[in-house]
Amino acid sequence: MTFRQFAYRNVVRNRRIYAAFFMASVFSVMVFFLYSMLLFHPAIEDRFVQEFAVLGMGIAELILYVFTVFFLFYSMRAFLQARSKEFGVLLHLGMEKRQLNRLIFMETMLIGVGSIGMGTGLGFVFSKFFFMIVREIVMLPTLPLYLSWQPFALTIGAFLSLFILISFIAPVFIKTGKVIDLIRGENEETYEYPVSRVRGYLGVLLLVISYALATLTSNELVIRLFILLPPLATLGTYYFFTDTVPLFMQKLKLSRKVYWKNYRLLSISFGMIRLRENARMFFIVTIVSTIAFMSVGTLASLTSFASQYREMNPLGLVYISTLQNEQEDKHIAQLEEELKEEGLAYSLTKLQIITQHSSFSESAVSILNHKDVNQLAGELGYPPIHLEKGEALFLPPTNSSYQNLNERIVITKLKESDVDLKIDGAYPYHLFPSYSVGRNVIILNSLDYRQVQLNLMGKETSALNYYAFHVPQWQKTKEIGLSIHDTVAETFLIESSGNLEYAFDNPGLSYSIIRMTFSLLLFIGLLLAGVFFLATGSFIYFQLYTTLEQDRKRFETLRRLGLTELELKKIINRQLIPQFFFPWGVALLHSSFAFLSLQVIWDALAEISIVKELSIVLIGFTILQLMYFHLIRWRYLVHIRGTVQKV
Amino acid sequence: MKQIVKLTEITKIYESKVMKRALNRLSFNAEEGEFIAIMGPSGSGKTTLLNMISTVDMPTYGEILIDGIEPAKLSKNELALFRRRHLGFVFQEINLLNMLTVEENIVLPLTLDGMSVEEMEKRVAELICKLELKELLNKLPDELSGGQAQRTAIGRALIHRPKLILADEPTGNLDSKSAKDVLELLTEVNENEKTTIVMVTHDPIAASYCDRVLFIKDGEFFNEIYKDERRQTFYQRILNVLSLLGGHHDVSTVRLS
Repeated sequence: MTFRQFAYRNVVRNRRIYAAFFMASVFSVMVFFLYSMLLFHPAIEDRFVQEFAVLGMGIAELILYVFTVFFLFYSMRAFLQARSKEFGVLLHLGMEKRQLNRLIFMETMLIGVGSIGMGTGLGFVFSKFFFMIVREIVMLPTLPLYLSWQPFALTIGAFLSLFILISFIAPVFIKTGKVIDLIRGENEETYEYPVSRVRGYLGVLLLVISYALATLTSNELVIRLFILLPPLATLGTYYFFTDTVPLFMQKLKLSRKVYWKNYRLLSISFGMIRLRENARMFFIVTIVSTIAFMSVGTLASLTSFASQYREMNPLGLVYISTLQNEQEDKHIAQLEEELKEEGLAYSLTKLQIITQHSSFSESAVSILNHKDVNQLAGELGYPPIHLEKGEALFLPPTNSSYQNLNERIVITKLKESDVDLKIDGAYPYHLFPSYSVGRNVIILNSLDYRQVQLNLMGKETSALNYYAFHVPQWQKTKEIGLSIHDTVAETFLIESSGNLEYAFDNPGLSYSIIRMTFSLLLFIGLLLAGVFFLATGSFIYFQLYTTLEQDRKRFETLRRLGLTELELKKIINRQLIPQFFFPWGVALLHSSFAFLSLQVIWDALAEISIVKELSIVLIGFTILQLMYFHLIRWRYLVHIRGTVQKV
Repeated sequence: MKQIVKLTEITKIYESKVMKRALNRLSFNAEEGEFIAIMGPSGSGKTTLLNMISTVDMPTYGEILIDGIEPAKLSKNELALFRRRHLGFVFQEINLLNMLTVEENIVLPLTLDGMSVEEMEKRVAELICKLELKELLNKLPDELSGGQAQRTAIGRALIHRPKLILADEPTGNLDSKSAKDVLELLTEVNENEKTTIVMVTHDPIAASYCDRVLFIKDGEFFNEIYKDERRQTFYQRILNVLSLLGGHHDVSTVRLS
C-alpha cells in the first residue's frame, strides 16, 4: 500500500462521515457553476435586463464563494478534531508531522477534486433545466445550451484554489502538542465555562431595545435605524447565546423540583453542554439564517409589489401633452399605428385637464369633465356617475385616499374662472395610475366645465390633454411607443424633465422590467438560501459528529444503569431540538421584527402588506428544517445505537 | 439462604465472522448477602458472565434467574426498569457523567424513577458520611481524584438500595490507597446492608476481601475457594489457584497491608 493509497482508503472507507461535507460542497460547486453558465452565456448581450441578471448572478457567486470559504474552514476543523485520536495513533507509530500534513493535504484534495468534478458535472447536466427556468422568468427568446471553456474554468479555478488553500491550512487545526493528548483526545473537554452576569443581562437588554426600536419605528426614523439596529442586534445575539442562555440554565438548575425530575436531570445538563459548546456556532447560524430570511422575504414582497402593479396602473398606455406640444397628433397616430400592427385591441379616451386654484385651500386643483370620465369608465367597465350642476367629486389620487376624501364636503370657488362648487364625496372607481392626473383632482359637471372653459377664454391657462389608452392585453404593450419612451428617458437623463412638452407612460413595459427583475432576484436569492440552508444543517451534523464517541460512551453507561429506550430517545430529542430550532427560532424572531420596521417603508412606498409572502417563506423554511431535523436525528440515533446495542 | 443469582448451564456463543464460545455450560449461584469475586485470565469470559447477570446480554443456552426473575422473559423496557431499581453498577472506567456534580451523579438513578426531591436529599444525606464525600457534593467529576470518583460511583450504585451490586474491576484504575478504601467500603456495605456483591477482578488483593472466589478459564468453571479466618492466608490460596490457572496475571505487586 502506497502512501497515496492510504490517503485514498482513509476517505473512501470513511465515506459515511464525509458524506454530508461532500454533499454540501458538491451543491455549492453546482450552484456556482450554474450561475457562471449564465454569466458567460453567448446569447446574453447588453440589454438592461440581461445586464441586471448578469450582475445579480455575479454578486450571488461572490456571496456563495465567501460563504463556502467559511463553511469549508469550519467543517474541516470539526473533522480534524474528531479524528485527533487517529492522528495520535499515526504519530505514535512514528509518522512524521510532515507526512501527516501530506496525508491531510491529499485527503482534502481528494474530496475537493471529487466534489468539484461532481458539482460541475451535475451543474452541466442541470444547466438546460436551469436555463429554462431563467428564460421563463426573464422572458428571453431562447437560451440554448452551449459548450464553452469559460464557466468550467471559472468554477474549477475558484474551487480548486480554495481547496488547495484549505488543504495547506487545515493541518494547523490539529493541536499537535503531546501525542498522548491526541490519543486521549476527548479529555480536553471542560465543563467549566465562565459566565458573565453583566453580559448575560446586557444581551437581553440589547435585544429588547432593538426589538422595541424596530416595533416603534416611524417613517422618519427608519433610515437612521438601519444603521443602528443591525450591530445592536448582532451584539445582543452574541451575548444572548454566550451568556444569557447559560445564566438562565444555571438559574433553572437551582430549583431541584424542576431539575431533579425524571430524565430532566440528564436532558437539561446535556442540553446545557450543547448550548455552551455551540454558542458561537448558534450565533453564526442565527445571523446567517436571519440574513437568508430577510433577503428571501424582501424579494418575495417585491414580487407581491409587482402583482399589485396592475391595480395601481389600470390603463394600458398614457400620453399626456401640453397644449403647446407640436408632436401631439404625430405621437398619437404613431401609437395607434403600432397598436394595430401588434394586433392589440384598444380604446382611446381623450380627456382635458385644466388647472385652477381653489379658494378654499388656496392650492392648485386639476379639473376634469364628468362626461370624459364617464366615457373612460365605460371603457373599463364601470357604471357612469351623475353630477348636478354646481356639484363636484374628488378624484382620489390613490386607492387608499378614497375613504378619507369620501367623507369630506367642501364648498369652494375656482378662482380663475369664478365658478362656485360644492364638492361632496369622492369618485369610487380607480381609472388612472396613481397621481398621474395630479395630486388634487376634482370632477365637474359638464355644464360647469363648459362654464370654466368659457370664462377662461382669452386668458392664459394651463391645460393638458390626457390620452388614456385602454388595452385589455396590457402586458403585451412593451414594444409600443418605444421611441417615445426612449426620448422621454433620454431627456430625463440629459436635462430637467420640465422642458418636455409631453409625458408617456407604458405600464406594460415598466411592469415587465419590474417583474423580471424581482423574479430573477428571488430566484437567485432562493438558490443562495438553499446553499445556506444545506450548510447550516451540515454545521450541526459535524458538531454532532465530533462528539459522537463521547456520546456513545455516555449512553452506553446510561443504558446499563437502566435508561429505557424511550427515555434515551426523549433525551436525544431534547438535545437535538434546541440545536436545530433554537438558533432558528431566534432568527425567526429577529427577522419578524426586522420586517415590522421594513413594513413601515413598504407602507410609505407602495401601500402593500408583506405579511402573506413572509408567512409563506417562513413556513416553507420551517418545513424544510423539520425534514432536515428528522433526517439527522435518524442518522445520529443509528450511530448512537450502533454500539450501544452490542453491550 | 435465598439464592439471588442462579445461573444454570449457561452457554454463550458470539456469532460474527468468527464464531466464539465465550461461556460453556457454566453454572453459578450467589446467595443473598454474599460478596463474591470472579477471577480468571483475560478472555476467560468474566465480563461476559457479568454482562449476563447485569441483564444487558442474554445467554445462547441455559437459564438465568436473578432475584427470582427470568431476564429472558422480560421486554427491553422492563429490563431497563429492573436494572435501575434492583441492580447497582460499578465500573472500572468509573463512568460518571462529567457534566453532573457529585450529588447529581449520585441521585441520577432516583431521578429517573421520579422520586420526590425530599426523599432524594434524605438518602444523599445518609450516604455521604459513609462515602466521605460531604465536602465534594458540588464538585464536578473532573475535579475529583480517582478514589473520590469511584466512591461517587459507588454512591450512585447504592442510592436506590439495590439487592445486588455488580462491579467490573472497580479498583482497576486506582492507586493502592484508594483501592483499599473502595474495597473496605464495599465490604462495609456488604456486611451492614446485607447487599450481595458480585465483583470481577484481576487483582488477588481485591479478591481476598470477598467471601468466595470463583475461578473460570476458557468460559468454563475452574475452581472455587471460600475465605478463611485470615485474609493473609486467603490471599495466598488465591495466588496458588491463579498459578495453577496460568494465563496473564500481574501477581507480582504484593501490597497487602
